[in-house]
This record gives sequence, C-alpha cells and structure tokens, in this order.
Amino acid sequence: MSVAQEMFRDRTSIVGIGRTEFSKDSGRSELTLACEASRAAIADAGLSVSDIDGVVRCDMDHVTPSAIVGALGISNLSYVAELGIGGSAPCGMVGLAAMAIISGQASAVLVYRALNGRSESRFGAAIVPRSVAGGQGSYDEFFTPYGLLTAPQSFALLAQRHAIEFGTSAEQLGAIALTCRANANRTPHAQMHDKPLTLDEYLGSRMISTPLRLFDCCLETDGACAVIVTSTERASVLPNRPVLIRAVAQGAPAGISGGMMFPSITYRDPMRLAPANVAKTLWSRSGMGPADIDVAQIYDCFTISTLLQLEDYGFCDKGEGGPFAASGSIGPTGDIPINTDGGNMSGGYIHGLNHIVEGVRQMRGSADVQIDGAETCLVTSGPIGISSAMVLRRAA
Amino acid sequence: MTATILPVDFDRDTGPHFQSARAGKLLYRRCKSCDRGVHVPTQFCGGCGSSDTEWRESTGRGTLYSWTTVMHQVNPAYPVPYTIVVVALDESPDVRLIGSMAGEVSLKAGQPMKAWFDDTSHSTGLPQWRPV
Repeated sequence: MSVAQEMFRDRTSIVGIGRTEFSKDSGRSELTLACEASRAAIADAGLSVSDIDGVVRCDMDHVTPSAIVGALGISNLSYVAELGIGGSAPCGMVGLAAMAIISGQASAVLVYRALNGRSESRFGAAIVPRSVAGGQGSYDEFFTPYGLLTAPQSFALLAQRHAIEFGTSAEQLGAIALTCRANANRTPHAQMHDKPLTLDEYLGSRMISTPLRLFDCCLETDGACAVIVTSTERASVLPNRPVLIRAVAQGAPAGISGGMMFPSITYRDPMRLAPANVAKTLWSRSGMGPADIDVAQIYDCFTISTLLQLEDYGFCDKGEGGPFAASGSIGPTGDIPINTDGGNMSGGYIHGLNHIVEGVRQMRGSADVQIDGAETCLVTSGPIGISSAMVLRRAA
Repeated sequence: MTATILPVDFDRDTGPHFQSARAGKLLYRRCKSCDRGVHVPTQFCGGCGSSDTEWRESTGRGTLYSWTTVMHQVNPAYPVPYTIVVVALDESPDVRLIGSMAGEVSLKAGQPMKAWFDDTSHSTGLPQWRPV
C-alpha cells in the first residue's frame, strides 16, 4: 500500500446525516436551512454542538462558515475549509474533513450545503442579465455574448457531441431520467415522489436546448443537507453503524482551463472530462474497481452527466453509456443500481451533498430503495472543472 | 429590445481576439514551441510548459464540432430559437470557437464552416460562423 492509502483508507467515517425537506419554496433563509440540516446531522451522530470543531463549506454556498458557526453556537472551532466548484466539490469537501481528522486538526467536522435553489437563486435562469461579460479569469467573453447562457445549453453541447461520436439516442438518455424517477417514486422525501414518468412523457417533454428535454434536466430545489465526519475509532462508540470513508479522489481533465462550465466543450476531449481522471485515482486509492461497487450515487445535473460518468468510472466502455443505461443495468435490480433516492433529477438538488447522504443511508441499510446486501457505494460529484468522488464502505 | 451581451475586450490574455474581430480578423493563440493551439488563450502553454505563445491569424475555416438549438428562452436579447455552434479551426483543430445563428438550422457534424464579420462584429467584437 502507498503511504496515502495506508494513512487514509477507512480511517474516518461518516457518523451523522441530516437534511431538511426538499421543496420549491422553503419559506426560510438558507442559513436556517443549513442550521436545521446540521443540527439533525449532529443529533443523528449522537453528538452535541460542542463536539463539532471543524466546518467545511462549498464555495457557492451563501452560508459562510462564520454565519453557521455563529448560528449553531460552535464554540470550539479549530478547523475551517472550503472547496469548489459548486457541485463538483462535495466528495472533496468530505475529503477535506477526513484529512483534518487524520492530521489532528479537528475531531468532528460538519460538512454542509444549503440553497434556496428554486425560490431565490435559480441555476436554470440565465446568468444575471448584464451588458458586458468576461474578464477576471471567467472566460465568459468567449461564450455568453453568443447566447450560451445556462447549464442546460452547455451540457447540450456535450450531449450532442456524444450523439455524434457514439450515436446516443433520446431513449437512452431517457433511461437515466426514468431510473431516477422510479427510485424517487419509492422515496417519500423525494420531490418527485408522487409523480411517475413514462418514456412517452419523457420524449414528449418540451425541448430546452437540443438534444436535452425538460426531463433531462435536474430539479431546482430549496433545502439543505449535512454530514458529520469523525475518526473510525471514535465512530465505534457512537450510535449508528459507522460508514467508512474508503477513499476520496479529485482530478482534472486534460486541457482544462479557467472558467466554469462553458469551456468544457473546448477541453482536449470533452467526452472525457474530470471524472475520467478522478476514477483512476479513486480506484487506485480504494484498491477497488467498478466490479467491487454494489450501488452508486452518480451526480446527475443532467442525464448526459450521469451517462458520461457511467463510462468514466468503468461500469461500461467509453461510448457504451447509452446502451448500458437502456439495458436496465442501472435500476435497483441491475448490475449497478444508481441514484437510489432519485438523485438531483427527481429527489432534490442539493448540489451533490444529497448523493453523499443517500450513500450513507445505503451503507447503513436504511434507504427507501435499499439495495440488498450492499456493502460498497461509489459517490461522485459534478463533472465540471475539477471533480471529486469517493468510495463508502459498510463497517464490518 | 434588450441589448446583447458584449465581450470584455480589455483582458490582457484574451482581449486581442475581440479587438481584432472589429477589424475583420480572426486571431487565435498558438504555442511556438509545441505548435498546439492554446484556447482559451493564455501566455503559458499547458501542453508543453512553454511561455512562448503568440497570436496567429486564422483563415477562418473550420469544421462543425457540436451544436445546440436553444428552445427555452432565458434572456430577451437572445430570442429563441437560435443555434449555438462549436467550430474546430482547420489550422488548429484543438482550438474550438463558438458562434451563433438565428433559428433552427440543419447541420451535420464535420461540415465545413466559415468565419464571417459584419457591422455587428465591428461593434461587438464577435467573430461569427456559418456553414460554407
């Protein structure tokens, strides 16, 4: 084992999870949501606020570390960190918490994400209307003046390219949307719990930006999630079955540049974004491979995001994501069940921390769509820019 | 009618691309050491580590790499439908540039594209692309 593997592998655990309800309008501030989810996670861990001495924030969260430390009354803070970009960060955020614990910088770390993503700041809306764009390292000058304004448009260029190179069809993308929806239909807290989706309804949904339809896009959600990370040694005396953090990895794609999502189509191979490299590091660090994974929570801002990652993490070959998704392999009884609470597509969009919470539920055996005998879970974060992922493992 | 978004043209790394478009020229960045295209433009070449990069004038010929027709309106300055195209430069296919065309357009991957400039380009500094 490498030094990195020996120092990190299974040494820390997620011992607490919390979330608010997922809605279109929470009726309260993002700080309030963050506090509710955090308090729930701390209580779930069998800890109290005074036990928390570290906090990790996502760079896009409006709730700052100072705000949440103050509002929760954390009085023993000794470690704070933050990571971006947005939805690509959550697994890396848990990695920062784990490394702080392993290196003695903190003993119990809160990782949170809160957003009023529907009632206040909608990602689906165009970037704030303005007369001039670009500069200061944004590189928006090459994109937004042409009307390339939103995430669906940016991911549509990737989806079209996948169709060009590999013949991927609407029905194949739709298989991902339908899988997430069917899981949400069995998950009471999922926003789409009461709304079934058929392939005809998917194909008939309005086009947003070709080839992506409405139901290729994830939800916009008000809500919050939080998790508590501590040492596996300490986890053994806490009430929940510990969920071991087997390995965490980050990585960048070849030809990456500054900017956020729009430059992805200009990278060396847009069909192999960051997850293709994250996967190599993650499998090496975990000592595992795709065949060892029982269930996966794969970041799904759009159907194409998940399709690309099924290939990148090796569940199928590059280019085979479409037929693989449509084969039933990603359903609850398939080879690799994904997004068992509906994910971003149909569960609720908490920018990827929701995927970690669901991964923990699977490893505890407490998910609504529980995968029988699942002992390992891959969780991935967004594929844009520098991405991250991790492997969780059920404690023996 | 809301005005379209104009590109910042004073960025030290990217400005010349937009300033030259006003004069009807398409400039792209290229590494003199390894001959790779460097896009988005930066002084240092991430391909070989050299800082010896330069602006070069393109003939304005390329091929269609990807596209999307936007159907969901988000900004009144960009009435739908319109089609965003991604074009790989013939001289340096690793440089992919964006263009836009009104309406739904019948397109084919790999088809030849040509850059063009008109009065709009002269005021906005935006090179545009259309099928040959």
